[in-house]
Amino acid sequence: MSRIKAKRVGFRLDMTPMVDVAFLLLTFFMLTTKFRPPEVVRIDLPSSHSDLKLPESDVLTVTVSGDNTFFMGVSSQQSREKIFNSVVKQKLIAAKFSSAAVQDSLKQFKLADSFPVERDELDRFVVMARFADQKLRPVVRADSDASFDAVNQVIKVYKKANLLTFNLVTVFEKEGR
Amino acid sequence: MGVVDSPNGRRGPGKKKRHSKRIGFHLDMTPMVDVAFLLLTFFMLTTTFSKSNTMEINLPPEMTEVKVAENNVMTLRIADDSMAYCSLGNEAPRRIPLYDTQDTHRHVLSTPLRQLIKQQAKANEKTVIVVKISDKAKYQQLVDIIDELNLMKIDRFSLDDFTEQDALEIKRAV
Repeated sequence: MSRIKAKRVGFRLDMTPMVDVAFLLLTFFMLTTKFRPPEVVRIDLPSSHSDLKLPESDVLTVTVSGDNTFFMGVSSQQSREKIFNSVVKQKLIAAKFSSAAVQDSLKQFKLADSFPVERDELDRFVVMARFADQKLRPVVRADSDASFDAVNQVIKVYKKANLLTFNLVTVFEKEGR
Repeated sequence: MGVVDSPNGRRGPGKKKRHSKRIGFHLDMTPMVDVAFLLLTFFMLTTTFSKSNTMEINLPPEMTEVKVAENNVMTLRIADDSMAYCSLGNEAPRRIPLYDTQDTHRHVLSTPLRQLIKQQAKANEKTVIVVKISDKAKYQQLVDIIDELNLMKIDRFSLDDFTEQDALEIKRAV
């Protein structure tokens, strides 16, 4: 009894290895974390059993939201700039924007992850994106509530731009059958 | 907090003193380690390693036409009433519910439809399934059908436009 009750005066535990590991993990997580950019619209993805992964670079994403509006995004900034110069710039100049305003919107356009596109303009943007970067991998990211009509439009546009292999983004559904 | 206790106390500019060994130098690392752990937990909890999953679709090029015998083609038409109309070759389509009625949350095709597709694929290896989906249908249905076909390891299928003809075809369903 008396031995258990004895106070452990000056008890010291060497924490160095634990702290080392903690810092190792900390650096690992800090370096691997990529913050997800804020989304323009909330997309409720459909689920599937496919476990193919989305490629990281050179993706051309056409997003179809639940209310059938289209958004387009290209992952590389060079392609974004090319798309801006070939499609958006003319529109801004036609609308009598000053060159400073055009420069400013280019800056914004380069940083934006995706931008809204009208239904009838989609094919022009996709063709321009294809023109800007030949290696683009087309991806359809549609809300499960989107109508097939809207998605079919995207598929037709891809087909027209000769992008015949594309991916549909889904979330993984675990239960097997 | 953050006590740096050096036995030398104040240090002057003298050369000799700078060189003197600091015996028993002790730095309290507790606050730094606290912050490190805080950041560690933050990054561990916010990191998700998940990359989005995708399913791949191959479209046939528009120019080339692949000829398939009529009775090797199984047409699967999806109208807006979430009913599937299955037909083989030219025969009248059969109306089968696309989903089981009891569970609407699980997006699983109905058992009779799955069995029909499976049987057909087994009976005739050359079967090509043509999926035609009405413009009024949902995107979810496309994903479910493709997913199901992928699960059954059927890769001979293609998407086609839903035309007026298909709408008429559906009317003579049994």
